[in-house]
Amino acid sequence: MAVTDSSFARETKPTLSAATQEKRAAWSLTAPALILMFVILLVPVMIATFLSFTNYSLGNSGFDWIGTRNYERLFTRSTYEKMFVATFTYVVTVVPISVGLGLGAALLINSLGRFREIYKTIYFLPVMATLLAMAIAWEFMLHPSIGMINRTLELGCGTPLEWLPFMATGCADGFPVWLGDKRYAIWVICFIGIWQGFGFNMVLYLAGLTGVHRELYHAAEMDGAKSGWERFRLVTWPALGPTTVFVVTISCIRAFQVFDTIEAFWPQGGGPNKSTYVMMFAIFEKGVQQNLIGIGSAITVLFLIFVMFLTLIQRWLVERKVHYG
Amino acid sequence: MTRDWWKHLILILGVIVVIAPFYMMVSYSFKSPGEIDRGEGGFFGRQEMMVDERCVKLRDPDRKDVAAAAPRFPGATEGEIRDALVAEAEADCAMRPVVFNYSKAFTEAPLLRYLLNGVIVTASIFLIQVVVALPAAYALAKLKFWGREAVFGLVLFCLLIPVHAIALPLYIMLAKLGLTNTYAALVVPWTISVFGIFLMRQFFMTVPDDLIDAARMDGMGEFSIVWRVMLPTAIPALLAFAIFSIVAHWNDYFWPRIVVTGNRDLFTPPLGLREFKGDGDGSYFGPMMATATVIVTPLIVAFLMAQKRFIEGITLSGMK
Repeated sequence: MAVTDSSFARETKPTLSAATQEKRAAWSLTAPALILMFVILLVPVMIATFLSFTNYSLGNSGFDWIGTRNYERLFTRSTYEKMFVATFTYVVTVVPISVGLGLGAALLINSLGRFREIYKTIYFLPVMATLLAMAIAWEFMLHPSIGMINRTLELGCGTPLEWLPFMATGCADGFPVWLGDKRYAIWVICFIGIWQGFGFNMVLYLAGLTGVHRELYHAAEMDGAKSGWERFRLVTWPALGPTTVFVVTISCIRAFQVFDTIEAFWPQGGGPNKSTYVMMFAIFEKGVQQNLIGIGSAITVLFLIFVMFLTLIQRWLVERKVHYG
Repeated sequence: MTRDWWKHLILILGVIVVIAPFYMMVSYSFKSPGEIDRGEGGFFGRQEMMVDERCVKLRDPDRKDVAAAAPRFPGATEGEIRDALVAEAEADCAMRPVVFNYSKAFTEAPLLRYLLNGVIVTASIFLIQVVVALPAAYALAKLKFWGREAVFGLVLFCLLIPVHAIALPLYIMLAKLGLTNTYAALVVPWTISVFGIFLMRQFFMTVPDDLIDAARMDGMGEFSIVWRVMLPTAIPALLAFAIFSIVAHWNDYFWPRIVVTGNRDLFTPPLGLREFKGDGDGSYFGPMMATATVIVTPLIVAFLMAQKRFIEGITLSGMK
């Protein structure tokens, strides 16, 4: 309408240009954000995709186009097999346990009359604390000779606890070198991931629980759901559906990004026998430290695909649930 | 209460596991190396005077010192003067373990500088994020323009990209521009917070149009509406976003680790702690834990003082 010829409109009737003005204002208000979105988020994704088909290195003037060789390497070399194994072990362990513990803690705390706030505060502390600092604290805890954990375990020697096979071997041959043993390293990392993350999930679940209507419980009881488990299965769990979808997704994305603890414990190489060589560490080591940009980019692309895939599943699930809730 | 005892039992076991590393970190930051090695002294250690070996070694008297000190000890042999000087040095270098640990934390490495860097980086990230995101969020929520849906779709798409995941291409871009090892490198990748735009847009959707129309009647332009009308109404949401942003960037280790190499003047607190760990030997557990405590404390204290707000801010992302 009037917008089609704005210069004409402005000359004759200034009020007609309001829409144009609004449009201009809108674009100038969004311009900085748009430009930055392109330069900082979209362009790097394109660069990574592009470079993943080359053998580029920083400092080289040119590069060769090597097709899918980087990806072939990712799926054939044993180093990268270890990378996938470590990453998925971590994600598959940390996500269900930290979500489960978060839910459990939220349910327990929610059912209490007193001290709720204290538990909530304490469980949330690891979420706030600098993970790197806490990783170093854990490293001391796990120290084979002077660490608190092995010292505590040693107290169990000479007591009936020695019946446990783990305690028996520990008391006889010394307790594990937690961070130096490839059998334990990844599980220690998982443990710290759970330790750090479950408080976050708990808080989200507590927020979700406030949204469950009391009447639903009464209704369920009327229908014969007497036990606590029945009430949980019929009322609480379905009502927490959207929260669960969100909590699982965000836990997955965070779990994929694990890096701080691994770099703190093993600055080189990704742990004993590469048992904790996760993807973020691989990107850092290959791409930044060894300047193998091509292979680093290929890992980046795979990483992005995993994360985007997860988020899309989450959005799809949420959209299905929206009508339900 | 009595019926709930088993719940408390489980929760208290959880509390012990959660607290243990914090307990140990703070406790080690109080203790002397000997107490840490032998695992004694309870939480605070015995706080007996200890002698800083390095300090004594630095003041080890040579011939010149002995000659210079001779007038103070008339009639003493050279050996006696030497012993007296060493004793003096030891007396001067004696201190309580807690003082030793914390003073070492600040003198061995420029910890104050690191903390300052942390403040500069987190504050500039947050401010730029707001300056960029707020106008965009306002436009997306309240202005009608062709292409709005497309822009919002782009925002939703960008929400899928975690910045840590694209660290490598970002690093290459910054390296090409010669920007690695600058404050800019630490700040630039975080200047755009798509999440911030999304969040503020959702918030602005709830602001009544009448407020904006009234401002327009008063002759305000769109820019002044953003900063003088929308900003004040958005304070609660902004506060939550501030907490979200500051916690994430104060604690971030991955990105600084990539773009800052070697230049200590740019180290953020986690990088400083990492370096401390790298070159410390076993006897430096105390000072290192003191450093860790200093780095963790600001956020924890802020959290304890304003828990509700913090929990809101951190879990904000869950309240879509």
